[in-house]
Amino acid sequence: MTKDTPLVENLIEQTRPDCAVISLNGVTREYEGHAGKVCALDHASFSIVAGEWVAITGPSGSGKSTLVNLIGCLDRPTHGQLHIDGIDVATMSATELDRFRADKIGFIFQQFHLIPYLSAIENVMLAQYFHSMTDEKEARASLERVGLGQRADHLPSELSGGEQQRVCVARALINNPPILLADEPTGNLDATNQKIVAGLLQDLNRQGHTIVMVTHDPEMASLAQRRIALSHGKVFCHPVGSPVVTLRR
Amino acid sequence: MFFRLLMESFRRQRRRKTLAGLAILLGTTAVTAMLALATTIGDRIHSELAVYGANIVVYPAADQLDVKVGGVDVKPVTGAAYLKESGLKKLRGIFWANNITGVSPELPVHIAGTTPSGKAVDATGTGMWFKHSLSDGGGSPLVTGAPTLHPLWKLNGAWPDEALSGPASTEIAVGNALASQLGLRLGDTISSSGKVALRVVGIVTTGDAIDEQILLPLNAAQMLAGAPDAVRRVEISARTKPEDAFARKDPDSLSPKLREVWYCRPYANSIAYQIREAIPGARAEQIRRVEQSEGNVLKRISGLMWLISAAAMLAAGFAVSAAMATAILERQAEIGLMRSLGASKGTIAFLFYVETGLLALFAGGFGYLIGSGLAGWLGARIFGSDASVSSGTIFNPVLLPVIIALALVVAIAGSTPAIRRALTMEPSAILRADV
Repeated sequence: MTKDTPLVENLIEQTRPDCAVISLNGVTREYEGHAGKVCALDHASFSIVAGEWVAITGPSGSGKSTLVNLIGCLDRPTHGQLHIDGIDVATMSATELDRFRADKIGFIFQQFHLIPYLSAIENVMLAQYFHSMTDEKEARASLERVGLGQRADHLPSELSGGEQQRVCVARALINNPPILLADEPTGNLDATNQKIVAGLLQDLNRQGHTIVMVTHDPEMASLAQRRIALSHGKVFCHPVGSPVVTLRR
Repeated sequence: MFFRLLMESFRRQRRRKTLAGLAILLGTTAVTAMLALATTIGDRIHSELAVYGANIVVYPAADQLDVKVGGVDVKPVTGAAYLKESGLKKLRGIFWANNITGVSPELPVHIAGTTPSGKAVDATGTGMWFKHSLSDGGGSPLVTGAPTLHPLWKLNGAWPDEALSGPASTEIAVGNALASQLGLRLGDTISSSGKVALRVVGIVTTGDAIDEQILLPLNAAQMLAGAPDAVRRVEISARTKPEDAFARKDPDSLSPKLREVWYCRPYANSIAYQIREAIPGARAEQIRRVEQSEGNVLKRISGLMWLISAAAMLAAGFAVSAAMATAILERQAEIGLMRSLGASKGTIAFLFYVETGLLALFAGGFGYLIGSGLAGWLGARIFGSDASVSSGTIFNPVLLPVIIALALVVAIAGSTPAIRRALTMEPSAILRADV
């Protein structure tokens, strides 16, 4: 597992907001709690450029899920601006946001979240169904892309953990979204399957996919070109393997 | 894909769906039974209360009210005003003609004569119809008479036949008390002072003043009284709507539109009004005792039925709500996944509502069938005496859409809280195990 050094060196230039596929500017997300307002994400500002692979790390309660919610268009910031693919998501209606999410984001989950009563190919087609219309040929091609062409008609229970995660990747890719949002993609896998999925993500990144990956695993984080660390809702950005260099407040 | 998701949901959550379906089934069964009974209960209650006599009485407008002492009309027959028997056929032409189930005209006469054993007879006779065909020339005739209005009268023998009445002889029925007093038996003949032979064909027990009277065909009474076509009063039994404040309004004081509404409702008052219009010189009034009993019973039973229906549907709603809450809770990961794949809340809600709707459709349909059967069974138990309406299943096709709509409303209302709760959950909170 190696990192792409030139990308890290050009980080400042690459994270210019004007060429970013994801850009946060003073993004804050507050929730109403019993004891008043809780700030889950506190003035987060950073950018991710197209084709970049970014790892988001941090302990539980650090605001990772809030950040994933926001980047995944499942939530909207209380304050600040969040641009995805050049569009300010805060200005979008709920319906527009649903549509936008189907178009722009492909989710890869730690728990795979495959529907147990649907076959591998039907699970992939489910994403097509909520995006536009189902196309079995395309879904099969997507499964072949992750090496599961022969297992397309199997139920998730008949697949190994690694295979299930690859179905999840195929499903994330089926609508060709510019951003892949991977949430602990290898958290539930053994070492062998972890390698397979990590390789798959590397391939996808090489093919130009932007990957935002939430992970606790330092080895997986080291595959990313950049790490964004979260602590108590605050964001720290630093190159992989380096100490924190910038406090983005 | 939509149908695949839908069918799999039914296949995989069979127990939950069965539970929710069962709740809807029981609710709709109860409501169908109650509504099916309620739609026929007016007729049934009317049939039950008809044994207590008429609910409308008609007498000549020129006459005063009957003066009765202990049920016996003590007003002199002579000099009294009469209605025309021939005018009664107009009852078949009024707006609510089909609601009139019984008509019994009466003409009191004084009968004097001797029994075969030589006892002197000095009694009141009442001329009436026993099995008279009332028709205005169009439509099917109404076969009616005093026995129709008084089903509790007990008869030994037969009712007099008006066709066998002539100037020389006629058939009569004698009240039980009078028959005992005079030692009259079936087949005996009273020789009246008017030279008419009165042959006893029936002995009737009524428990009222009729027990001391002689009942004879109306045409014979008219002959004896020397008053052809005359009728002293007419008792009418009609199916009516329970009296309310609007029923008690004077139609002539209402606006034309309201008057029309009043006129077209089968209140005893409006039927009486129409009788007055149809028979010139007649005064028709409702007999409040029977009418009010009928109204009160109907009102109470209807109220009870509505209460049972509402309680059944409320219980079904809660049961559906509980079953759906569990069913949706089991599928929250699926919901979170769908949301992350771009499904809008509306799309997911639609999927669940179609599931619930299908459930309501099937359960409501079966509930309708079972409820119709239950209504027939209940009807037979409650109104066992009324054979014409008590047996079999009560299928009222109008109820089917009502029941289905009710099942849909209850199922949708019951599942809405669970669906709303599921849709307000954070998809990432559902999807992430370590948040």
